[in-house]
Amino acid sequence: MDAGAIIMLIFGGTALWGGLIVAIINYNRASRREKAE
Amino acid sequence: MSSAAKDEVNRDQWGTKLGFILAAVGSAIGLGNIWRYPYVVYDNGGGAFLIPYFVALATAGLPILILEYSLGHRFRQGAPATFQELSKRWEWLGWWQSAIAFAISTYYVVILGWCLSFVYYSFGEQWGKDTGAFFIGDYLATSSGAAPEGFWNMGGLQLKVLIPVLIAWAMIYVLMRRGLSKGIELASRVLMPTLIIMLIIIVIRAITLEGAGVGLNVLLTPDFGALADPAVWIAAYGQVFFSLSIAFAIMIVYSSYLPRKTDLSNTALIVGLSNAGFEFLAAIGVFAALGFLATQNGIGVDEVAESGVGLAFIVFPQVISALPGFNALFGVMFFGALFFAGITSMVSILECVVAAIREKFDLSRKAAVNWICGLAGIVSMLYVTRGGLFYLDTVDHFINAYGLVVAGLAEVLLVVWIVKALSAQRDHINAVSYVKMGPWWSISLKFITPVLLTYMILYSLWTELKENYEGYPGSGLLIIGVGAVVLTLIAALALSLNSRDPHDNLTYTIKE
Repeated sequence: MDAGAIIMLIFGGTALWGGLIVAIINYNRASRREKAE
Repeated sequence: MSSAAKDEVNRDQWGTKLGFILAAVGSAIGLGNIWRYPYVVYDNGGGAFLIPYFVALATAGLPILILEYSLGHRFRQGAPATFQELSKRWEWLGWWQSAIAFAISTYYVVILGWCLSFVYYSFGEQWGKDTGAFFIGDYLATSSGAAPEGFWNMGGLQLKVLIPVLIAWAMIYVLMRRGLSKGIELASRVLMPTLIIMLIIIVIRAITLEGAGVGLNVLLTPDFGALADPAVWIAAYGQVFFSLSIAFAIMIVYSSYLPRKTDLSNTALIVGLSNAGFEFLAAIGVFAALGFLATQNGIGVDEVAESGVGLAFIVFPQVISALPGFNALFGVMFFGALFFAGITSMVSILECVVAAIREKFDLSRKAAVNWICGLAGIVSMLYVTRGGLFYLDTVDHFINAYGLVVAGLAEVLLVVWIVKALSAQRDHINAVSYVKMGPWWSISLKFITPVLLTYMILYSLWTELKENYEGYPGSGLLIIGVGAVVLTLIAALALSLNSRDPHDNLTYTIKE
């Protein structure tokens, strides 16, 4: 694969799947806080 | 007990919040994620397309999704009653969205039937060497092949298509009849993880094939010059808009079944990013497979790159036949994945119509499902005829370009500018959510989304006037395409007559 394609693959993957992981972590943190209250 | 309080007690609810997330992801992930998105990326600047795509996601997709969640969660009713709560004169908009969903369900089920057929045809690669001739000629028996001259040559019902469509209808009917948590939620809990595992297996196989890198280069090598083209930005907004199940009334209904204490913004982020992450993964798999096919045939990837029906039912059978082993297994997995992606979307499309009808006419789920599935089943027979492919393509084009987008624009204008309910909705979201909505959300909905949707509508109209869609006859486009949009609008106006007090409903769940 070309360097440009690899960079965009990493960019897209990090933004989308990384963003999803962050959103899930936030969601779990909020759920735990809600249960604690 | 007040009627509002009674509504609160009797309203259907998701079994778990995870169940809701999976159902919402299942609704958003549909056929378009697999067969539309990869080609849109390839055709609009390759990897550079990701930039307008992310901008569109942040300024239109997620803001509208969060807005719809907040509407459903705040008013806890289907789309017609929700819009009636906002303004008594706007109930029709909810009905229009529901009627559009109904129209889409009538042809979506036919594509699910095709998927089932191709699961069967995968055994022994029954499509033969000329997959185009097999799909258009042998399977659909389309009048005059694929030529638009046969548009009005409807012919009779095609048994090869009718049987799988009836099987698909039976599955959908059972899921709808079983109700929210035992039907839609349970199906989503099983099908969504299965779908994701199947896609991962397909992608791993695809990227390890000879020539996969060629396909990925074509897909992802960025052409940053394309970002200067407004059409690329429109394509990004269009992809995000059509992909997230927004402006459909679906998300309003789905979020109306959520418990009071639900983190709306985070849930929307998870759903939006799951949908986007899934289609990005699908694009990698599809183009790796296309790179393999092109390498095998000694041609360029551009010669095999397709989207929509052509990609799924003509090009992919060629890919499956060319695989070095386990051809039937990968055929079953690919068409099975398409079917799973489609059926979870299909039940969400029908659920918003069923919920609206139940609320309006105080019907039990059983009665509403019987009516809606029965009516949609009858209409779907239009697409099982020899001209079915033409009618499906025409209705899909017009309903999406002029029904869905116009209804989406009207929804945003209503909330933001007509009844000025944006602050109330923001307060509602921020009261229950971990991630608070700030100025970006308001600016996106006040300015960016309406301007972009208006531009999309004008762009579609301009393209329409320049030449007939797909070269189909003007009479066909007018009667089938424009007719479908007008019919949904007439149905919406008729159903919004004799509006009732929005709180004088929702007693139906007692009849479950």
